[in-house]
Parts: sequence; structure tokens; C-alpha cells
Amino acid sequence: MIEFQTLALVDTLQAAYIRSLNSKDMKGWLACFAPGNGQYECRTSESDEQDLHLPLMLDDCYARLQDRVLFITEVWSGTYTDYATRHFVQRISAQRGADGLYQVTTNFMVAYTTARRQTEILVAGRYEDDIAVDKTAATFVRKRAILDTITTPRYLVYPI
Amino acid sequence: MQTETPSLSAPWPVKPNELPKEIFHREDIFQLELERIFRGPVWHMVGHVAELPKPGDFKTTIVGDVRLLMMHGKDGRVRVFHNSCPHRGTQLETAARGCRGEIECPYHRWVFNMEGALVSASGRDRFPATFRNEDYGLRQLKTEQRHGLIFSTFSDLAPPLDEFLGPAGDVLRQALGGDERVTLLGYQKVVYHGNWKECSDNEGYHAPLLHRAFRLLKWQGGKGTQAVSPYGHKTISAELAEAPKGKFLNDPSLIELRDPSRVPRSFVAQLFPLNLFVRHLDVINMRVAFPLSPHATEVHYAYFSRQEDDSEMCAHRRRQAANLLGPSGFISLEDGAVFDRLHEGSYTPGTVAFQKGVTDDGGIESVQLQNDEASNLFKWQVYQSMMGFTHD
Repeated sequence: MIEFQTLALVDTLQAAYIRSLNSKDMKGWLACFAPGNGQYECRTSESDEQDLHLPLMLDDCYARLQDRVLFITEVWSGTYTDYATRHFVQRISAQRGADGLYQVTTNFMVAYTTARRQTEILVAGRYEDDIAVDKTAATFVRKRAILDTITTPRYLVYPI
Repeated sequence: MQTETPSLSAPWPVKPNELPKEIFHREDIFQLELERIFRGPVWHMVGHVAELPKPGDFKTTIVGDVRLLMMHGKDGRVRVFHNSCPHRGTQLETAARGCRGEIECPYHRWVFNMEGALVSASGRDRFPATFRNEDYGLRQLKTEQRHGLIFSTFSDLAPPLDEFLGPAGDVLRQALGGDERVTLLGYQKVVYHGNWKECSDNEGYHAPLLHRAFRLLKWQGGKGTQAVSPYGHKTISAELAEAPKGKFLNDPSLIELRDPSRVPRSFVAQLFPLNLFVRHLDVINMRVAFPLSPHATEVHYAYFSRQEDDSEMCAHRRRQAANLLGPSGFISLEDGAVFDRLHEGSYTPGTVAFQKGVTDDGGIESVQLQNDEASNLFKWQVYQSMMGFTHD
């Protein structure tokens, strides 16, 4: 049984994560990851089902997370047509692993609103996260967004 | 009976570098493109044998608006069928890829073997006496392979494949790494909200201007060549300057060129009407696309490693593939963004006009440099001719 306090820290982290993406605060997004060793991956469930494991985004070291922020905020700036996201999440399982990290699975659905103020579903899927929790805060050591959506309905500027 | 060419609001422009914007969004023109181009006398690159390497492996795809089922037969041949039962037209396979010993239609349990022949049909004793299994095999497209790449055509009037590909055939070979010995790494799939012609009209001019990463990382050497073919293909062989170490990226290992057999060169083969093959850094990428409507194009990026790669090299290629190209690719996201904007911009009157590499009278310079755009105009001449658009 995981203590309520631990789950509260996990949920606070997930809320900070989706708040940063929904507000396009990429520094806030980066701050959700364990400094120095956080990792992020976004891939489709089709990739897993076919045993291919080719991600859509792969930040397999902290420097790559930093570079993703760099591209979104500087390199791509002014080229893409912006859109706003709303992430809806539902934690469905959590357990403590042998490595001391909490393995948390969370369903998500992401809606996006275009510059014309039309809203559609962007992707649905699940997060499979490895989370470090101390007495006061939690951080993602590994965050994996696994999309049920095989064909994304637009190009993806922001992580999921 | 062939459909008549729709009238444009003004005759097709006389200057070869000009195009009417209305061709990018009109439904009637789109329907004619499906008929005259996609189901016309052209070859389509529908996949690579590495996607279905053993007997029984299959992949579903679309060309134009026609649903197809590719299957690796017991005899080693990859065939391309209509993904439709010849009995009542039921879609036969719904999965993107898989492996089956036979194909069974769920509606009336007709069974086909891996070579597409009808093996059994339930209730056969009540069929007409004239019914013969050989008349009800899966309908098959004319299909050939080059370097493991699978090409199909709907038309008996398509030229021989090697003639159709021309010099692009060798660029495809080089981009694959010399031969067909590649392994599938995986896919990325996305819908771009542009007309298929907008999604296949990228040129060398935009590369260092739209893609700021090329400039920041000093990837674009600018010394390269373009070649065109009479069937509308374009190839680019581009030199890449070495990326400066530690100057911009926190993790410059992402853009390392590790394949020892290659000089810093990228290859692009843009095949008419809607195929693309790219070798960029260590990424080996095939793009199969299909127009969903005049306003949307679905693109499937397939990535490969070389069979001789060790696990480290495979991981490197996977890492580059995941981050450089595709719907979130560091150097391709901007393309998707521009496809959308080209399409929105097409809802204005008049014409667009290519300029870089164009002669004073609107023609095409005989030599097209790496960052010129006029090489696309050869493709547009093919398009205009196939569609039957005239200047009067």
C-alpha cells in the first residue's frame, strides 16, 4: 500500500506536468524531470505491438530534454501555427519498484484548440512513468507517453 | 470513358514557372488526379521487402484512394492485391502489418492463399456451374522490386519501371546504403493539412531558410546537385558541412554521422507523384503518402537500419529517426507547418510563381543547384500534361 502522502506528491507532479504543457511553459516542463538523469519518450502502441519501438520523440538523456526545450522555444519559433492543448489524466495504478522508484500508469486524453478556436482530440493513450519521490517532491526519472493514436492528426510541436 | 478535364477559372499559365492556386483545393480536380495520375500510367513505391520479410507477412496500404494488401508469398514474391474480397468487396485485412498463413474473408469465409488464389468458398455446391476458383483470385497490381523497394502500378500503360525511375533508381540504391539489405526500425504516421501536391513540392530553396536548424548547426553546405527526370522525379545529392561540436546542442551526439561508408552527403529522391526517399545523416527513411482529400494528406514515415549494423549503430539510427524527421522531427516539423499554410494560402485568387533557378522568360535554368527551386517545374509539366490542362 502506497502512503497517501506519496500519491499526493505523484499527483502534484503530474498536475505540474500537464499545467506546464497546457500553458506552453517549457521550462516548467523540464523542471518536472529529475535534474541530470530525467528521460522522456513518446511512442505509439502500434510500435510496441509490432515489436519495433521507434518513438516519435526520444529524449534519452537530460541534455536531450534541454534540446527539446531549445527547439520549441527558439529554433521552431515563428514557423509553426500554434495550438493549445488540454491534457486530461487519470492515474490507474502505482507501485513501488525494486529500484525505489514508483511505477505509475496514467491514462491521458489530449484535446487541442487551433488558432481558429476549433477543438479536436489530439491523442489518447497512457503514461508509464518511473517517479522518484522524496519527502517533499516527486520528479520523473523516466516518462513514457504511449499513444493509442497511431496516426497523429497534425504535427506535434509540444511533448504529450 | 475518361472524365473531362475540369475548366480552370483562367487558362493554365503560359509561363512554366507559374501555377494556378485553385488546383490545390478543388474537389473536381482532386477526383481527376486520382483517376489520371494515381490510377494512371505511373509506378508507386508502396513499401520495402524489409517490412514483410518472410512468407505470410503482410502490410496494408493505400495508393490514391485504393486500399491495398501486400503479401509475401510462399514462393518468395511480394504481391500487391486489392484489399477487397472478390465476392462482395469486403475489406480483407484491417491490421497495418502482420503475418498469416492464409487470408480469410470474415463475411462468407472465402479463403485465399498467400499468393492470392481462392482456395475455398463456403456453400460452393449452390454456386453456378460455371464458377471457377481461378476467376476469383485476389485482384493483383503489376508489381516489381528494385533494391528491395516494391513498386506497383494500376495501369498497363506505365513505362518499364527502370525507364520510369531513370537516374532516381541509383539514388534510391545509394540512399538505402548500396543494396536491399536493410531492416525495418519502425514507423511514424501523421496527417498534414495540405493538398498532396503541396506536401510533395518541397524544393532546395527552402531548406536553409525554413529549417533554422540547418543554419544553426551549419549543416547546409550548399554544394550539391539536383537532377530531374522526364517522368517528373527529382533527386538531390547535397553536401553537409560538419556540424560544429558543442556550439548549439546540449547533446551533439544526436547529429553525428557514424556510418563509416559515407561522406557527409544526403540523398533525396522525390518520385512523382507522391513518394520520397531520404538518406540524411544516418537516417534511412522512406515516405509513403496518400491523399485523404484535396485538403489532407496522410504520410507514413518508415525507417530502416542496415543489416550489418551492430546494436549500437541500430540504437543510433533509431535515436536520429525519432528526433530528426517525422511529425515532431527537428528538421521536418517546419515542413508540416508550411504544408498547412500553403493550403490556407491557396484560397486566394491567382497563381504562384517559382523564381530561384528560373530564366528571364520564366523557363528553367539547365543547371539546378542544390538550393534552387525550379527543378520542381519539370514535375509540374508532367502534372499539367497528365491532367490535360491547356493554355487556352
